[in-house]
Amino acid sequence: MMKFIIIKTKKNKYLFFLIKLLLLFAVVFIFDAAIGAVLKHYYFKQESGLQYRTTYSIEKTKADLLVFGASRANHHYHPKVFEKGLKMSYYNVGRDGSSIMYHKGVLNAVLKRYTPKIIILDFVIEEFMKIDGNYDRLSSLLPYYQTHPEMRLIIELKSKYEKYKLISSIYPYNSSLFTIAMGNTESNKKRKGDINGYVPLTKVWNDSIIVDNRTGNYELDSTKIKVYESFIQDCIHSQVKLYIVFSPHYIKFRHADSSILIAKEIAQKYHVAFIDFSKDAFFLKSHQLFQDIDHLNDDGAKIFSNLMIDKMIQSRN
Amino acid sequence: MLVYMLFDSIHYLIFLSIVFVLNYLLPHKFRWVLLLVASLYFYLVAGASTIFVALIIVISTFICGLLLDRGKNAKTKKFYLLIGLFINLGLLAFFKYINFFIATSFDGFNMMHHFVNTGEVFDKTPIVLTLLVPLGISYITFQAIGYLIEINRGNYSAERNLGLFTTYLLFFPKLLSGPIERAHNFLPQLLQKHDFDYSQVVQGLKRILWGLFLKLVVANRLALYTSAVFSTSEQHTGITLLVAAVFFMFQLFADFGGYTEMAIGSAQILGFRLMENFNNPFVSKSTTELWRRWHISLSTWFSDYVFNPIVIDKRDWNRWSVVYASFVTFLLLGFWHGANWNFLIFGFLQALVLSLEFLTKKSRKKLRNHFPDFVNNIVGVLYVIAFFSFSLIFFNINDTNTAFSIIKKIFTFRGSFYFDSPSLILYSVIGIFTLLLVQYKREYYKGNFSFTNNKSWIVRYFIYCSLILLILLIGVFDGGQFIYFKF
Repeated sequence: MMKFIIIKTKKNKYLFFLIKLLLLFAVVFIFDAAIGAVLKHYYFKQESGLQYRTTYSIEKTKADLLVFGASRANHHYHPKVFEKGLKMSYYNVGRDGSSIMYHKGVLNAVLKRYTPKIIILDFVIEEFMKIDGNYDRLSSLLPYYQTHPEMRLIIELKSKYEKYKLISSIYPYNSSLFTIAMGNTESNKKRKGDINGYVPLTKVWNDSIIVDNRTGNYELDSTKIKVYESFIQDCIHSQVKLYIVFSPHYIKFRHADSSILIAKEIAQKYHVAFIDFSKDAFFLKSHQLFQDIDHLNDDGAKIFSNLMIDKMIQSRN
Repeated sequence: MLVYMLFDSIHYLIFLSIVFVLNYLLPHKFRWVLLLVASLYFYLVAGASTIFVALIIVISTFICGLLLDRGKNAKTKKFYLLIGLFINLGLLAFFKYINFFIATSFDGFNMMHHFVNTGEVFDKTPIVLTLLVPLGISYITFQAIGYLIEINRGNYSAERNLGLFTTYLLFFPKLLSGPIERAHNFLPQLLQKHDFDYSQVVQGLKRILWGLFLKLVVANRLALYTSAVFSTSEQHTGITLLVAAVFFMFQLFADFGGYTEMAIGSAQILGFRLMENFNNPFVSKSTTELWRRWHISLSTWFSDYVFNPIVIDKRDWNRWSVVYASFVTFLLLGFWHGANWNFLIFGFLQALVLSLEFLTKKSRKKLRNHFPDFVNNIVGVLYVIAFFSFSLIFFNINDTNTAFSIIKKIFTFRGSFYFDSPSLILYSVIGIFTLLLVQYKREYYKGNFSFTNNKSWIVRYFIYCSLILLILLIGVFDGGQFIYFKF
C-alpha cells in the first residue's frame, strides 16, 4: 500500500514537490523548536550581564525607584545616593543604546507586576529622530515576546512581519548565541559589573569641552513621540511619580534640540517635571566628572545624583 | 523615496509564491501575460510615478527595433539606432547624471570666472533638481541598448510582440539589479513550453536559500561593522579602516551576489534561465581574471559594445588599442555606477591595473615560472583582494576627500583595532569563511563531494536545515536595501 502511495505521489510531480517541501518545513520546525528551547534555557540561566539585567528589570525587580533610559541612565544615577537620600530601594533598568520604545516595553512589564513609587526617565537628544533601522534595538526584547503579552505591541513595532518571524523559537535569540554562551561560562557568572543595574564609569575626560553647532532640526518620528506620551500617561494612570531628566553632557549646545523641546512640551501638558541639566554651569566646567562628553564617571554620578535628589524634593514641595 | 519589494522580505516571498503557483496553473500561452502583470505590479510597488519612464524606454526601443529591422540600408538603420540610443541614454543621463553635469559645469564656470576676474568671489550655488530615479533604469536601458545594437548588427530580429518585449525588459527577478540579460537569450524562453520541472524548481529554491544566506548572514552582518567605521572614519585608526575596507569587499559581493542568486533562483523556479553574474570571483589571481568573474553581465556588456569595437577600430595602435579601450571602458563602467567622481576614480584604477597586467603579461609569466604554483596562486589571490578592496574605498565613500584621507590613514598603519563587539567580528569571520569555502569548493573540487546536490537526502536536508537555522540564528534582518539597487 505504502509503495503504491509513493509511486502515485512521484507520478504527480506537484504533489511530490509539495510533500517534500512540507517535510523540509517540518524538519526545520523541529530543529528550530529544539535549538530555541536550548537557547531559551541558557538565556534565562544567566546570572549577570546585560541580558540578565533586562530580565531582572522585566520580571523581578520590585524597587520603589526605577531609572529608565539608555547608557546615560545606566551611568549617571548612583544607587547608594538615591537609596540614602530618598530612603527607598532602587533599580536601574537602563540599557545601552535603547530608545523610548524599549523603555515603554519594559514599563509595560513592570506596571503589570507592581507599582513603583518613583520613575526617573533619562531623556536624550535626538530621541525622536527618524532613523532607518532604529527600531532594530527592540530585538533585545524579543526573548520576552511569548511570555509577556503586555510588551507585544511595542515589540511588533520592530518591523511589519515581526510577529510571523517570532513563530520561530530561534529568532528571539538571533545574534545572541555568542553572548549567551559567554554569559553561561563560570567566569562570567561571577562577574558583577553593576550595582542594582547601575554601571560605574571610572575614567576621566581630559580634553576640552565640545561645542555642538547643529541646528537641532531633523525629521521627527511620530511613533516615538506617541510612545513617549503613552509612557507619561501610563505613569500618571498608575500613580507613579515621574521625573524626566536631561542629565549633563560635557557639550555646549548652541541650539535647542527638537526632541527636547517636544518632550518638555508634552511633560508640561501632563504636569510632569522635566529637569534640564544641559546648561548647568557647574558640570560644563567640570571635565573631571566625565568619562567622555556624553557620560559622567562615578564621581560625577554621585554629585549629579545628589543634585537630582534636591531637585526632586524641591519639585515635590 | 522609493520603497522596493526587497528580495529578502516576507512580502517578496509571498509575492513569488503566488506567481509560482499561478505560473504552473495557467495554460502555457498565458504565462507570459502573468509574468508581465507580476512585473508591472512589482514595479508599481516602488511607486507608480516612475513607471511612465520605464514604459517610454520599452515602447521607444520596441518601435526603434522594428524600424531597424525593416531598415532598407545601413544609413537608415544607423539613423534608427541613433534615435534609440539617444532616447535610452538621454533618459539615463537626465535622471541619473543631470545634477552631476550641472554641478561640474558650475564648478568649471566658477573656476573660469575666478581666473578671469581674479579675487572676485562667485557666490552662486548650482541648481539641484530633485528627481526620483526610475527603478532599474541603468539595467533596463542597457538591455534596451544591447537589443538595438544586436538588431543593427544583424544578429537578431526585432521582437514583434510588445507584450513579450515588455516582459523581457521588466521581468521582475532581474528588474532591480540585473543580470543585464541579452534579448536573444531570454525572449525565446518566453515562448517555450515550461512544464513543471521538479529538479529545476528545487535548484532554483536552493539558489534563493543561498542568496538569503549571503545577504542576511554575511552582507548585513559585515555592513554593521563597515557602516559604523566608515560613517565616522576620522575617528578610526589605519588598521581599523583597512579591515573595514576588506570587509566591505566581501560585503559587496555577498550583497550583490546574494541578490543575484535570488534573482536567478526566482527565474529558475518559474522555468527561466538567466545568465550568471558571478563565477567564484575570490579565486581570481589577477584583476583581469577578476573582471571575468565579477558582475559578468555588466563586464560582458561593456566588452561586447564598448571594449571590442574600440579595439577593432583602433587596431592600428596595436597593444595600445587595448590600453585605450580599457580606460574608456572602465571609466564608463565606473561612471555607470553613479554620478560621482569617486566612481570615475574607481573605474580609472581598474583600467590602470588591467592595462599594467596586459602590458606586463609576458614578464609576469616568466617570473611565475620561478615559483611553485601554490605560491603563485596565493600571491595572486592576496594581490587581487588587496587591490580590489583598496579600489572599493572609492566605490563606497561618496566624498573624494574622505576617501583619500582614509587611504592615507591606512598607510600610516598606527593605532589599535576597533573591535565593536566580539560577536560581530566572530560572525563576520564565519560568514566570510563560509563564502570562501563554498567558492573554493566550487572552483577546485567540483566533481567531489557535493552538499546540496548530494545523493543522500539526509546530507541535503542537513544542509538546507543548517542554512535556514543559521539565517534565523545569526542573520541580520531588516538590514536595508541591496547596495546595487541604487545604481
